[in-house]
Amino acid sequence: MSAFTMPPTDMSHATIKPASHIRRALLGAALVLIIAAALRLASPEYLSPDLASRISGVLLGLVVIANANNVPKALPRRLPSGLNPAEEQSERRFVGWCLVLGGLGYSTAWLLAPIDRANAIAGMLLAATLILSIGRVVLGRSRPVR
Amino acid sequence: MSSVFRALSDPTRRRVLQLLRTSPMTAGELADHFAVSKPTMSAHFNVLLAADLIAADKVGRTITYRLKLSVLEEALLEFAQAFGLTVTEDSAGAPDTETPPNDR
Repeated sequence: MSAFTMPPTDMSHATIKPASHIRRALLGAALVLIIAAALRLASPEYLSPDLASRISGVLLGLVVIANANNVPKALPRRLPSGLNPAEEQSERRFVGWCLVLGGLGYSTAWLLAPIDRANAIAGMLLAATLILSIGRVVLGRSRPVR
Repeated sequence: MSSVFRALSDPTRRRVLQLLRTSPMTAGELADHFAVSKPTMSAHFNVLLAADLIAADKVGRTITYRLKLSVLEEALLEFAQAFGLTVTEDSAGAPDTETPPNDR
């Protein structure tokens, strides 16, 4: 008999109930839409169009960070066939970190870069991390299983 | 969030998380790295499970633990490892389990 014990409740996978998960996502989406609408209404009378663009850019970066933060925590119920659990975990961690840094770069670019170049710089930073993430996953899955 | 801080405040639990970063491991494989009793290790695993930092899959008698850290929690783990993180019993809200004198 194994001497290790588990808690009586099953905490093996997602402890967040799906309903609360969906509610939280909907609230987040509603918040983003409300802020975007408020920026649209406030510009240009109360807020310069440049500042409104910067705020919405920073906000989008924060949304990327918030979503990417949970990527390593989202465990799959079943691994794709032939995929090593260690490799799958490594992929999730890499993609999570990469996209969090991408989102951080996106927000920072919108915050600090000259306004005429902010969109291009932010987009390039995020695209680079996205390509890195996809590359890592493709490369990891093309290797033979050890 | 306090459960996460409490879980990360113990060096044994931090070491468990570091070991799981390389790959998922069974309870026995993890326990082999520590000079503590199995019930003590179980208590550590349960604290980590309660904080949602690891996930457990039980197949037959074997329990396999997998890492379940968000990016922020992993950064916090690194911070705790580098600078030390201590949570007192009062602020943790529950008594801590036995901490081994030598966990490496």
